[in-house]
Amino acid sequence: MKVNLIGTVIYREWRTRVVKRSFLIGTLLTPILSVGLIIGSVLLTDGVEVNHLVLVEDAPGLITRLDAASGQYVPRCPGCFPERDNLEYRFVREAPEDSVWLAQGHTVLVEYDESVLQNAAGYMVYEKSPGVQAKRQIERDLSRAMEHARVMESTELDWSAYQRLKLDLTLFDRESTEEGREEGGGDEVRGLIGFLFSAVLFMVLAVYGGLIMRSVVEEKSNHVVEVLVAAVRPEALLLGKVIGMGCVALTQIIAWSLLSTLTFGIFQSLFDAGWVNGSMAAGTEDIPIDLLTVMAQNEALSVLLDIQWGVMILGTVAFFIGGFLLYGSLYAAVGASVQSEQEGQGMVVAIILPLMFAYMAGGGAMSNPDVPVFTWLGYIPLTAPVIMLVRLAIGVAWWEAVLSWCLLILTARLVLGLAGRIYRNGVLHDGGKSGWKLWVQWMRKDER
Amino acid sequence: MTTALHIDDLRKSFGGQCVLDGVSFEVTPGSIMGLLGPNGAGKSTLIRSIMGIVTPDAGTITLGGKPWTREGVQRIGYLPEERGLYKDMKVGEQAVYFAQLKGMEKKEAVKSLRHWFERLEVEGWWDRKVSDISKGMAQKIQFICTVVQGPELLILDEPLSGFDPINARRIIDVVRSLAAEGTSIMLSTHDMPSVERLCDHVVLLNRGRVVLQGASDQLREEGWNGSQEVVFRGNDLTFTNALGAWAHLDGIEPTPQEGVRKAAIRLREGVAPGSVINALQGQVELQEFIKVRPAMERLFIDAVEKEKSIPESTVS
Repeated sequence: MKVNLIGTVIYREWRTRVVKRSFLIGTLLTPILSVGLIIGSVLLTDGVEVNHLVLVEDAPGLITRLDAASGQYVPRCPGCFPERDNLEYRFVREAPEDSVWLAQGHTVLVEYDESVLQNAAGYMVYEKSPGVQAKRQIERDLSRAMEHARVMESTELDWSAYQRLKLDLTLFDRESTEEGREEGGGDEVRGLIGFLFSAVLFMVLAVYGGLIMRSVVEEKSNHVVEVLVAAVRPEALLLGKVIGMGCVALTQIIAWSLLSTLTFGIFQSLFDAGWVNGSMAAGTEDIPIDLLTVMAQNEALSVLLDIQWGVMILGTVAFFIGGFLLYGSLYAAVGASVQSEQEGQGMVVAIILPLMFAYMAGGGAMSNPDVPVFTWLGYIPLTAPVIMLVRLAIGVAWWEAVLSWCLLILTARLVLGLAGRIYRNGVLHDGGKSGWKLWVQWMRKDER
Repeated sequence: MTTALHIDDLRKSFGGQCVLDGVSFEVTPGSIMGLLGPNGAGKSTLIRSIMGIVTPDAGTITLGGKPWTREGVQRIGYLPEERGLYKDMKVGEQAVYFAQLKGMEKKEAVKSLRHWFERLEVEGWWDRKVSDISKGMAQKIQFICTVVQGPELLILDEPLSGFDPINARRIIDVVRSLAAEGTSIMLSTHDMPSVERLCDHVVLLNRGRVVLQGASDQLREEGWNGSQEVVFRGNDLTFTNALGAWAHLDGIEPTPQEGVRKAAIRLREGVAPGSVINALQGQVELQEFIKVRPAMERLFIDAVEKEKSIPESTVS
């Protein structure tokens, strides 16, 4: 097989797809639009935020007292109702009729009775819903104020002493290994990350595999194929086509990753600058406004920083190469043995089944990675590319990953050879029935 | 002398059906060989075997005096009957791609292609998409892609299909000049006039076997059945009587010239043309006495019909 000829085929496959307006627009716009939509929605929410004047009817007098100077009811715990752009509180012991407080400019009325401390429930009355975010803020503020009232009523501690004594327990995971204890836990989140990687791989294999099939069918229908197979060995042509399309997929993934990283950076800058603080961090005034710190403080998100991204990316690329060679050559073989894309769909279903099975099993492996069936699926080449990405994210012995990859590559090489025979015989097969029987016949033919 | 292509006892079967049955022939350097045969005769399988697309069951193929190799195939220019171009690629870009697949460097390919585009007057189409060009134009581009690397052997399968008479003439001229420059050419076609105009040699294939082969002139000479065309001024009856036992008269017809007649005769076996001329002279005013050799089409039909009369079971 002449390497430079394969290189020429790879370059054509890559160039004709990548240097194309539709590809460039799709590749550039997808991440920008996605992040743009997120940022846009945040900014839009920021821009259209409605200010609410909340009237709290503290009938039992739990959280308010009468301020002699102003003659107004004021909170016993002023810190429980921090100043906000979108929320302002007024307190009364007895609220007027709805039409009256509404006419006074209030948008929300909160009412409760003495039982609130037992059943932790009250009512929120409004003409137009204030929205989920405002409702949560009101609930959070009133909960703190009532907690304050409870502390004042049932303990001899003052509020600040109570807050100092308050304890939120966090249990950090530690795995007991032969080397001692190691940091552990976060398997669900890691599994989820691995599953997301495998989902991307699944989509890429399915989408670009389909493109390989279409490309072969087109070459048959526009009669280019005979010139090609006369110049290049069909196996080399198939390999070039699969690698070329794989390069297209990698180009798109890399472009999306870089653009997403860039937009993530922009998003973090916006976060740091406080642009999105109002919408995202409001109500948690003690939250540090730095995205990485936020992630580190969040138990689930901290796992993201803890994942061995180098291993994940290396694993993804390695299993992508193996998986793409394996499935890509099968798709090319289908394309070679049919006369139209529609005819190929039936055969594609059979090819994509193991991949779909792996994808669904990946969901199970996410929560139970060490169940023997998933361990075995990680070794079976047809399911390994998807399953091993989940297991890699959660943590797997290096030799298991290497063994799985070697099996995958060996199988891909074998399938590539057989697919090459199908391709050689199939591309010039015009008319008549196609199907698995022909595949078996063609695979038995060892041509020069 | 080293042959450009030598085929020896080539055999190929598909699913028990014999497609090539001991085919042997050769193409000499700088010659144009016509590969003829009815549909299903095995021409495409033979060509695909030479190109390495199909592996023969038995027999040998020698290219330029050396046993068949993939590298040897790289020196063949091949224009298949079923041919096409990528519709979404630009013409020039595509031609460069095909030239590179034939082992040419990009720079060298561009230079050679520019020359050929100019020669076939398609230089203005370099940057156009294939979907924007006409069928005839696409045919020219395909022809250029076949000859661009300066192949030692050129295999052209129905090269003139899709061309108007002017462009067909241009392609014929190019093929002739390539042969004159030393390129060996194998031409597979059903277009008999172009075979007569172009081919030095012909190989006629039927049911996977070579049923006729040799130099075109020689084959036509061998196929001559004594036909002569006689142009004379005189009486038809006198002419017929003078012809006597020397020849069969197939027919007499008038010519545009007043009193001048044209007769088609067949000399009887062993009769020399001079004897007939002597017999006619003095009886009629003899103007022309032309030997009529059979057209290639006639030879083709006769050979195929003759084969048809042989039962299938005895042909193998």
